[in-house]
Amino acid sequence: MPECETPLWPCAMTGAAACLAGFEGISVVIHGSSGCYYYPATLLHAPLHGTFILENEVVFGSGDRLREVIGDLSGKGGRIAVITTCVPSVLGEDIKSMLDGTDVILVDSPGFAGELETGYRAALAVLAPTTDPERWGVNIDGVSLSDPFYEGNVQEVSRLLHCAGIPVGTVFCRDWSEMAGHAAPLTMGTNDDFASGVGKYLGGTLGIPALRATFENLSTAYEGADADPVLAELDVQEERVIHACDKYLRRYDPPGVAVFAGTAYALFAADTLKQYLDAEILAVGTRNDPLAAPAGQYPVEKLTGLEQVARKIAEVSPDLVIGSSFERSVSGDRTFVGIIPPLRGRVRLAHPPLAGTGGTLHFIEEVLNACMDKKT
Amino acid sequence: MTLRPLPSNICRFAGCTLTGALSVTTHVRDAITVVHGPQGCTHHNFSLLHATSLDNDRIALPPLVSTGLSETDVIFGGEGALDRTLDTVIARDPGAVFVLSTCIVDTIGDDVGMVCGAKAGVPVIVVPTAGFLGGSFQTGVNNALIALAGMAGPADRNGGVNIIGEKNLEYEVEENFAEVSRLLALLGLSVNIRFVHDLATDHIASLGAARLNILRDPSLIPVGESLKERFGTPYIPAYPVGISGTVAFLESVADTCGIDCRHAVEEEHTLRQQTLDDFADLAGAGISFTPLPPDPEGSRVAQDIAQAFRLDVTSSGCPVPVPVTPPVGIIGVRRLLHRWRRALHA
Repeated sequence: MPECETPLWPCAMTGAAACLAGFEGISVVIHGSSGCYYYPATLLHAPLHGTFILENEVVFGSGDRLREVIGDLSGKGGRIAVITTCVPSVLGEDIKSMLDGTDVILVDSPGFAGELETGYRAALAVLAPTTDPERWGVNIDGVSLSDPFYEGNVQEVSRLLHCAGIPVGTVFCRDWSEMAGHAAPLTMGTNDDFASGVGKYLGGTLGIPALRATFENLSTAYEGADADPVLAELDVQEERVIHACDKYLRRYDPPGVAVFAGTAYALFAADTLKQYLDAEILAVGTRNDPLAAPAGQYPVEKLTGLEQVARKIAEVSPDLVIGSSFERSVSGDRTFVGIIPPLRGRVRLAHPPLAGTGGTLHFIEEVLNACMDKKT
Repeated sequence: MTLRPLPSNICRFAGCTLTGALSVTTHVRDAITVVHGPQGCTHHNFSLLHATSLDNDRIALPPLVSTGLSETDVIFGGEGALDRTLDTVIARDPGAVFVLSTCIVDTIGDDVGMVCGAKAGVPVIVVPTAGFLGGSFQTGVNNALIALAGMAGPADRNGGVNIIGEKNLEYEVEENFAEVSRLLALLGLSVNIRFVHDLATDHIASLGAARLNILRDPSLIPVGESLKERFGTPYIPAYPVGISGTVAFLESVADTCGIDCRHAVEEEHTLRQQTLDDFADLAGAGISFTPLPPDPEGSRVAQDIAQAFRLDVTSSGCPVPVPVTPPVGIIGVRRLLHRWRRALHA
């Protein structure tokens, strides 16, 4: 990994914690220093535990401390998951054998192993989720506690499934832990960067075209599904989006846009603004490595540091910047809309989505209001 | 969530040395801080600094460059990555480069001092940090301040006063500084430099010119002693806290500087009486401190304030906020009393 100026994306350890802490009934222990503990604890807003190891435990072994913490948690219900951070990972201790005889999930996900998504996938792989052919419903995946829109996404896609007469299967990763082993055979996604790979994938729910395709797939793949109410809703709500954007374009030029986010959200934002607002997509900077090369019509590159982002913004000079409050801090007076963490400097109490119909409505609403506020 | 914070192991929860050092080095405007470790360590800390900076209306931070250690570097050594990173940042001709290490770097045994010692062109300052291997958050602050003080040489006295070790992550950092400045002005004194708060590298040269150093709190005494030994500058060990702290502070500063403080003390007594009058309506109200601040000094100061304003502290009283660090000066006490009044009226 080359040097990076002001890295903007969390490490693999945080990703593993984001996955495991999403399951009720799993107590997550960060095996490492207090510094490694506090960041995921504040980002994820989930109860995490820590071993808070000290120098003498690095020298003489961290086993006693790890067993002490696990002993405190044992017998309180649920399973325990231990995530190793950088130092315990290289100490060469046989943590697995230390945990012999205990029902403890061990995830080796040190920060140097990669980024957020790497750790999320590593943790999910250790959980080894399986499908249950008898289970009714459709799973929702792509849910990460690190995503400020995850709660809204789950609520919104659950609502759409309900409209189609389909119960929600397992939510990866925001569910009871035992549900991971009894997932439904079909899955729809809210954010492909955190795809679970569990069950047959029906498609994503970011953007109205994707939603339409996914619910059409659902109607053929799931016996008894009635996607018509959802497809009808999509038509109605898309018309509202078109109307609002058309009204905007009667008075204003479409914005030149620079988008910075994880690949899935970045492409959703770019596609949506291109389609409905005829926006010029000047740059798409992704935080992570795309799982597949995006087939979009815009320049997409991985930009992981704040200075890279600042240079890109200066280079393409967008009217509108989509990203996090990191981007906002280097955008000067440009119009800004936040879609990825952190979203500092704003009060956020409700749970708006980015996925589903509501997600597109919310996103377009934010963009139009921000652009119009800037014009007036 | 913490587990059984046994008193013997309280240091487990004393924070990360790297974070403490970064809270200092990122306040040197024209310097670049290099964090030798995996990218995650830099991101985690930058995210924290970003949040607190926005709270303090400080939008931009100086660059934080991670050497981006990978699994391969961890196995074969990360000195090459540090060497390359230093070459890159030195080419940008910053005022200084501060090099901070992380837990994993100390564990694998990289010789950071050796790599940095071979560089020339701009000052490359190694700040001893290594996450939990290096000590606590406060250790990181102290180490950074002492390391940065090494950039200053002898200087003629200019009559000013240095503010040492402000808590840059504190929400009220500017308000606390303003209160101390107000008290110094009562004595006819002005601030030389804020070491280190929003400072340019070349300002550090005047560190030794001050007649007095005022430390933010007693945890900085090792820094105060180091500066006293190096420049002969006396120090006051803490900001004034609580209702009676400001007068004692004025007397202590005046005594150290050989200034007549009678007029300043008189003015401060007037302000104190005015504050007692302004919040006289609180007398007799029942309050409770829940939860108690972790710092016993915070608890003591809160009790003193309650006593001065004749509030009854009982376990069944109305819960009122008690800050983690005690309020600075009379102005800080006034703000706290407004919060207590709000709680009582809620």
